[in-house]
Amino acid sequence: MNWKRALIPALIIAPLVIILARSFGTDPRALPSVLVQQQAPDFVLTDLDGNRIDTQALRGKPLVLNFWSTWCEPCKAEHSLLQDAAQRWGDQVHFFGVVYQDTADNIRRYLEARPTPYPHLVDPEGRVAIEHGVAGVPESFFIDAQGRVVHKQTGVLTRDVINETLRALTGGTP
Amino acid sequence: MTAMLLAALCLGQVTAEDPNDPAFLIGKELRCPVCQGMPISDSPSGMAIDMMGQVRKMHAEGKSREEILNYFTRSYGDWVLLRPRTEGVGWFVWTLPPVGMLVAIALALRYRKRAPPATPHVPPTSDPYLDAVRKEVQS
Repeated sequence: MNWKRALIPALIIAPLVIILARSFGTDPRALPSVLVQQQAPDFVLTDLDGNRIDTQALRGKPLVLNFWSTWCEPCKAEHSLLQDAAQRWGDQVHFFGVVYQDTADNIRRYLEARPTPYPHLVDPEGRVAIEHGVAGVPESFFIDAQGRVVHKQTGVLTRDVINETLRALTGGTP
Repeated sequence: MTAMLLAALCLGQVTAEDPNDPAFLIGKELRCPVCQGMPISDSPSGMAIDMMGQVRKMHAEGKSREEILNYFTRSYGDWVLLRPRTEGVGWFVWTLPPVGMLVAIALALRYRKRAPPATPHVPPTSDPYLDAVRKEVQS
């Protein structure tokens, strides 16, 4: 076999194969977040009771932002986990739900039967969702006390992810 | 029905996207995070509609094309651009195909020049075994 003849095509094809092979095992639709290890975008929104929430004023305590909707079944599936987490970690961590592509009335009706111990914020025109790079729901952001995103969860949260991330954020136990 | 449609058109309630609208053209450059093969200008998803709304708002505020694209890449990364930037990894995306084609053409021409000369015609002999061997060698 003429190895020299095969060398040039191999040198061209090998890098392409390596680049493509790196994608094996990854979800082609999953969007890696460029915000991880970066400052989370600050915002001011109102909750369902009309209270103004300014995330910049909340610095000094970690924050969990959960983008969700009533039409999203996986969002409802993780709802009880977030309720539980907010009850256990609520003294050390701020929890907020952010309404995504839904109405305040729908959220109120849903929460009447399933109250959560944390506020839900209305995001008109989806500006806050866009600034966090949200592509769908549920998506959750774990933000440290200095306002830096330490973890973005695309899809349903698990108890392990919540506890491990909050343990790392708070340096302790609930 | 026809009268209603005409009335709606006269009142400007039915509009089509202006293909020359600068905001629409910027939307053509941004990938929908939900319908990932489509630009936000064409995607029917709620997120795309919100993103187009943000593009229009920023354009109306006087923001440039570059500022609007940077706003979205800060949140979604360069992935959100349907036309990769001509810097960093994007540089390879733009240059690799034409360079690869030129290299392939050059290699094809080089190997064509090195093709062995055509073998001269040798009349068959009376020995069928020798003919078979000669045919095998020349093929």
